[in-house]
Amino acid sequence: MVQVVVPSILAAQADGRQRFDVEATTVGEALLALPVADLLVNERGEWNRHLNVFVDDTDARELGGPACPLTGAREVLIIAMLSGG
Amino acid sequence: MAVGVLALVGTRKGLFVLKADDDRREWRVEGPLLDGWGVYHAIVDARDGTFYAAANHVVYGPTVQRSADDGKTWRRSKKIRLPEWSGLTLNAAWHIEPGLPQQRGTLYLGADPAVLFRSGDAGETWEPNHGILEHPTRDRWFPGAGGLCCHSIQLDPSDPQRIHVGITSAGAFRSDDGGRTWLPVNKNVLVDYLPTPYPEVGQCVHKLLLHPARPERLWQQNHCGVYRSDNCGDSWERLDQNGLPSDFGFTIMIDPKDPDTALVIPERSPEYHYIPNGQFAVYRTRDGGQTWAELSDGLPRPAWAAVLREASAFDADSAYFGTQSGSFFALADGDTWVEGARHLPPILSVEVTQWSR
Repeated sequence: MVQVVVPSILAAQADGRQRFDVEATTVGEALLALPVADLLVNERGEWNRHLNVFVDDTDARELGGPACPLTGAREVLIIAMLSGG
Repeated sequence: MAVGVLALVGTRKGLFVLKADDDRREWRVEGPLLDGWGVYHAIVDARDGTFYAAANHVVYGPTVQRSADDGKTWRRSKKIRLPEWSGLTLNAAWHIEPGLPQQRGTLYLGADPAVLFRSGDAGETWEPNHGILEHPTRDRWFPGAGGLCCHSIQLDPSDPQRIHVGITSAGAFRSDDGGRTWLPVNKNVLVDYLPTPYPEVGQCVHKLLLHPARPERLWQQNHCGVYRSDNCGDSWERLDQNGLPSDFGFTIMIDPKDPDTALVIPERSPEYHYIPNGQFAVYRTRDGGQTWAELSDGLPRPAWAAVLREASAFDADSAYFGTQSGSFFALADGDTWVEGARHLPPILSVEVTQWSR
């Protein structure tokens, strides 16, 4: 079991829930288990370009992206990268 | 029961609901709903009162959202997809058009890249229109600065088989068979940025409207002029040279009671996209575009405002628009603009309907 934390705009799309306990072996599986999974990937199933995902404080892309294993992980943190004025 | 006007004002940061009494002088602002989403267009379906919004986010992508309780709660459509063989991905949801009164549950969605969708289940799922997706001229459509957006969808109330769409940098297209096939209808419409000035397709329609009481009459604000057609788009007459300060602009409004009346907001050239010389004005014709008169009473000057293609609306009694600088205006007493709200986020879209209290 891992806990996935989503930012507020995504939480608003999930009846206000910000934390989800999911059973998953990879980060990709964990994201697809969320009720907002359709907002995280494009039509090809690829992570949206400005989406950052951290597994216990490490960027999931450095750990294999969607295939990153969740063995022993406690938290998956989703952060939408927005910058500019 | 008092009746007033409700405006759905889509902005770069969410949807605002503005309400006024029938005199349109004082507006109450509620929102933002869909907080954080860029609402390219939102509309109330007159058939059942459902709110629909084309809501886009730079990270979370394009969505269509709907609310059956006046915006208190929202439900997303299932993921909107284009077929994998097309090689296309959906960039943005642009415009939602409810079907005709007798077409229960039917809606249309115009989107980028130059695609049209239809829903037969009140917006739960969307299917791409293959006549547009596989149009034989598609390889001659080139995206403009706003992308290849299908932003205008006009249904002919006298003929359920007839549909018009307007697509930036692709042109106007008409279907006479319910959307199966599409005929380019761009005759006499200028393209001044291509080697051929009057091609079959490639015209940059900025907004296209059908007159509900005279459905063979269409109006369009184009990248290269203002036009009117009296034969369902088979040919167009250019009208901006009859007294407008610029051929360029994005939005157009009509009067549902009078087919000869239209309003435009000219902007300075494709390079600049704001009001010419700070002289903020709407221009109105009451003779089918043969002459235009300035309608600026109540508008601030100087002002370098800009109004986007979806950011205007009209009803039987008035006209409305919003600026990229976050001001919403309504025409009151026939000829005076009232600033109903200011300091909203940049306004992307405006639609109006009646409300009761």
